[in-house]
Amino acid sequence: MPKFHVYWIFTKKAFLRSAVYRFDVWSRLGSNLIFLLMWGSIWTALYAGREEAGGISFQAMLTYIVVSQFLTGVNGAGTPLWEIQEKVRTGDIALELMRPFNVPLRYLFADFGSVTFYIVTALLPIYAILFIFMDFTLPTDIITWVSFIAAAFIGFLIRYCIEMSFGLLSFFLVETGGIEDIFYFAMSLLSGSVIPLWFFPEWLAKIAAYLPFQGIYYIPNAIFIGEIAGGEILLSIGLQIFWLIICYFLLRLVWNRASHKVVVQGG
Amino acid sequence: MPIIEVENVRKDFMIAKRETGMMGALKSLIKREYMRKEAVKDISFSINEGEIVGYIGPNGAGKSTTIKMLTGILVPSSGNVLVNGLVPYENRQENAKSIGVVFGQRSQLWWDLPTIESFELLKEIYQVSNQCYKKNMDTFTEILGLDEFLNTPVRQLSLGQRMRADIAASLLHDPPILFLDEPTIGLDVVAKEKMRTFIKEINHERKITVILTTHDMEDIEKLCERMILIDHGMKVYDGEIAMIKERFGKIRTLIVDLEESLHSLQLLGGEVCKEEGNRYWIKFNRDEVSASELIAQITKTHSVKDLTVEEPAIESIISRIYQEGYKDLQVSAKV
Repeated sequence: MPKFHVYWIFTKKAFLRSAVYRFDVWSRLGSNLIFLLMWGSIWTALYAGREEAGGISFQAMLTYIVVSQFLTGVNGAGTPLWEIQEKVRTGDIALELMRPFNVPLRYLFADFGSVTFYIVTALLPIYAILFIFMDFTLPTDIITWVSFIAAAFIGFLIRYCIEMSFGLLSFFLVETGGIEDIFYFAMSLLSGSVIPLWFFPEWLAKIAAYLPFQGIYYIPNAIFIGEIAGGEILLSIGLQIFWLIICYFLLRLVWNRASHKVVVQGG
Repeated sequence: MPIIEVENVRKDFMIAKRETGMMGALKSLIKREYMRKEAVKDISFSINEGEIVGYIGPNGAGKSTTIKMLTGILVPSSGNVLVNGLVPYENRQENAKSIGVVFGQRSQLWWDLPTIESFELLKEIYQVSNQCYKKNMDTFTEILGLDEFLNTPVRQLSLGQRMRADIAASLLHDPPILFLDEPTIGLDVVAKEKMRTFIKEINHERKITVILTTHDMEDIEKLCERMILIDHGMKVYDGEIAMIKERFGKIRTLIVDLEESLHSLQLLGGEVCKEEGNRYWIKFNRDEVSASELIAQITKTHSVKDLTVEEPAIESIISRIYQEGYKDLQVSAKV
């Protein structure tokens, strides 16, 4: 096992690499904002002028969507599912097996680099302006801020483990369209990224409650707007950590099986 | 001392059978049948430290599969592999430190970054000391002329430059073993020659063991003393190249340009296999008749303008082995 230092280098290089693709950053930011506008309008229409619905104020709901869209931007800056599938298909990942490092960990650290670049150069400036000019619910105490950042980070790791595991399934499957559909469905609905879990019908809320996806968007978002507060924060983060451990072992399992089975196609 | 040992290695791939037609498609949804494809059937060899070995065979013979087993990215179905004292697939990360790998068909450099960044990344990955890194970079820059493109992103390099960068990258961490999978593919004559000189030099100077797969027989002739020939996943020849030439290269061709055109040229021990104007190609077996005897026969009755004796290139020997099979060729060579 090489030292931690090696992975840090990947973070640095990925940061530099992102700088090469300026256009990519701007186009991604553009589509992120379009989705923000879309979901903002949808929720404005759904509230239809009411001050609150289901015990949640309109302002809090709008903040939920904005935070959620911000986190979607953060998570979207990592290596996407299709790219992992592509790397499996072309044999790029298999070739990395002959390097002296842990492959999933190297991708995670590279993602840290590209995500940091995206946050610093695109997301943060734009969303800061949004928060300055619009009337959103901001956490008032430092504890909420810290818990939000912690929850968002754990959510990022959960998403990473799930996305990587799903991507690596390409080692076992010839067609991966179905996997993609399941993944994107779960990521957009069950994670609570566009509809908070409290608006779900009971049966769906139950399903979501027993799955890890809520840890990616719902928990950090809800902490931000104060829907999860006090002792519940610890409980929610505890739940996230629980799912992170499970997802980590899932990724390890998939990776171990995949790397044992590597078949470099077309080799 | 053997640095690489391969013992009765087999590698099977399971390939999903594709059913044809609608019914077949539906059937394969429920139950899929698999076909076993034996990429490598039973291969054994051992390679000593400091050797350059040509590992050759026709497309699909199992060359790349063998290389991948040696690098640890494929697990053999059965048999033993030992590289520098380690079982590659069990100690993949350890094994990685003692090998360098170049795949001619794909680059291992980071596509979007300037070449130098890839080198720096590899330096950290393999934990190469500053001193060693500098020494290697200086050497490689001098021999391979890396400085002309170090700051160019890899995707903008020409194929020749990319190959030079790739081979330098594979050697940064001073591996005792180097695997080259078609290192000269697609290169022009000059670039090929440079590559060969470099391979020869690092083998000579650093005693690096080189295993080389290629379809270019010139690579083999210029670089290797030993050749392992495989076909259909089996080893068909393992030995000196000089030997295979000795054994199968008895048939030579004498080419003569005569002053006048003839109706027919009859010679003892030789056979005209082609004629074009005043030029005649005469095949003969070196064991039965010597070139000088043939020439004496011709000059007795005709005046000769020019003549050459052609030795069969390893290329044509190999292509005969591919087509006729090694065993058959052995039989016909004895006759």
